[in-house]
Amino acid sequence: MLTSLEQSAFSTWLLSSNSIWAYPTVLTLHTFGMMVLVGAALMIDLRLLGFGRGIPLQSMDRLFRVMWVAFALNAVTGTMLFVADASKRGPSLIFWTKLSFVAVGLVMAVLIRRRNFEASAEPVVISGAAKRLAIVSLLAWSAAITAGRLLAYVA
Amino acid sequence: MPELANQADLAHLHLLLNHFPTIGTILGLGLLLLGFIRRNDHLTKVSLEVMFLIALATMPVYVSGQAAAEALKGQAGVSADAIALHNDAALGSFIMMEITGFFAWLTLWRIRRVGRPTAGLTYTVLVFAVLTAAAVARAANMGGDIRHPEIEGGQYSGLFGAAAAPGSGFLSAAGIKDFVLQHPFVWPTCETLHFLGMSLMFGVLMIVNLRLLGWLRGMSFASVHRLLPFGLIGFGINFITGMFFFIAASEQYTQNVAFHWKVVLLILAGVNYLVLTVYDEAWALPASADAPLPGKLLGGSALVLAVGVMYFGRMLPFIGNAF
Repeated sequence: MLTSLEQSAFSTWLLSSNSIWAYPTVLTLHTFGMMVLVGAALMIDLRLLGFGRGIPLQSMDRLFRVMWVAFALNAVTGTMLFVADASKRGPSLIFWTKLSFVAVGLVMAVLIRRRNFEASAEPVVISGAAKRLAIVSLLAWSAAITAGRLLAYVA
Repeated sequence: MPELANQADLAHLHLLLNHFPTIGTILGLGLLLLGFIRRNDHLTKVSLEVMFLIALATMPVYVSGQAAAEALKGQAGVSADAIALHNDAALGSFIMMEITGFFAWLTLWRIRRVGRPTAGLTYTVLVFAVLTAAAVARAANMGGDIRHPEIEGGQYSGLFGAAAAPGSGFLSAAGIKDFVLQHPFVWPTCETLHFLGMSLMFGVLMIVNLRLLGWLRGMSFASVHRLLPFGLIGFGINFITGMFFFIAASEQYTQNVAFHWKVVLLILAGVNYLVLTVYDEAWALPASADAPLPGKLLGGSALVLAVGVMYFGRMLPFIGNAF
């Protein structure tokens, strides 16, 4: 199945087209989405860890929307990139490691939002549990980026 | 994509720009000392801004120097050793310059927050600026030696003592190149850090500039200003890892139009970041208020420039010839 995906007309176009709108653009959009998604997550994590305390937590709530839009972009572009290289990526341990860390990062985002942003009043102190979530989120996104980068060199 | 500059243009650009670091550092240092003598905080602030801008201007000086070296390679009357020596001295002074620029920025950031230059940081800038002025003058002197046939073979004994053999100093471009190319883990590691640094930098740019644009409300500009050093940390990571790439494989970048655009946009983004750091109208912006039009333009251009830098970085292998 992976091979047939890879041999589809779409994959052939994406990989072998010389157009700048094919592989280079999809890859760049994927990088853009990563930068926005991880950038927004890092800012929320830093705030929970005590940096920029003057920023009301509630006012950062809109960043979650930014994260979901960026994630949607990367889910689409990521699928395109996977399909183009399916037989290589499918069995790659690094690839699935990357996806697992992305999943952890997303779960952390949901938990952080549910526990710190949905209260009606601004929390006075950030709880230890919230800080732990922020640290896991930081580590998960760093690991996802590391694994993603390694895909280009190792897998 | 049409080219911005060919090899000869870049060699020419190097000759044009290479006076900026020397003159600029001395100018910045002079203003800083004048600020001390006159006890004038405004002068001190201007001197720090000059030093940050000179640190930005030094980036194209270093990278165009690499193109100039390639253009000169194998020409009669040009000593390869003299070029290598100048390159190493230039690299050392470039690093000093960027450290000075970083501390100058940090001092400006503190001034914005506490209202006056703090002694510890200002003296740190002073010390680094003196060291940078010496290092950059030495590098400039060695650069001037490249076109002097009487020094061929490194027999020259000048103002700064006899020239050493290339690569024998503490810092050597050739040594860094070997280190990167001989260890297969270095390039992917730097790439990973480069992407992490980019995300950190963009996160900060996003929150600060979306606030200015008015899309993120409920936070004062002063409160997001607190996060600006993280943006510079991200930039520092990317500057260091980016220099590893450039030194290890400069031939991929010097003739690469995507790289040329990336450097141009990066410098504009740096100027933008400086304005953002010292911008009075934005600093006074309360949580609920809308930024004035110049603030919105600043915020919008910062985001466009940052995405542009990323775009041309990612396109290095596709528009240009880098891997």
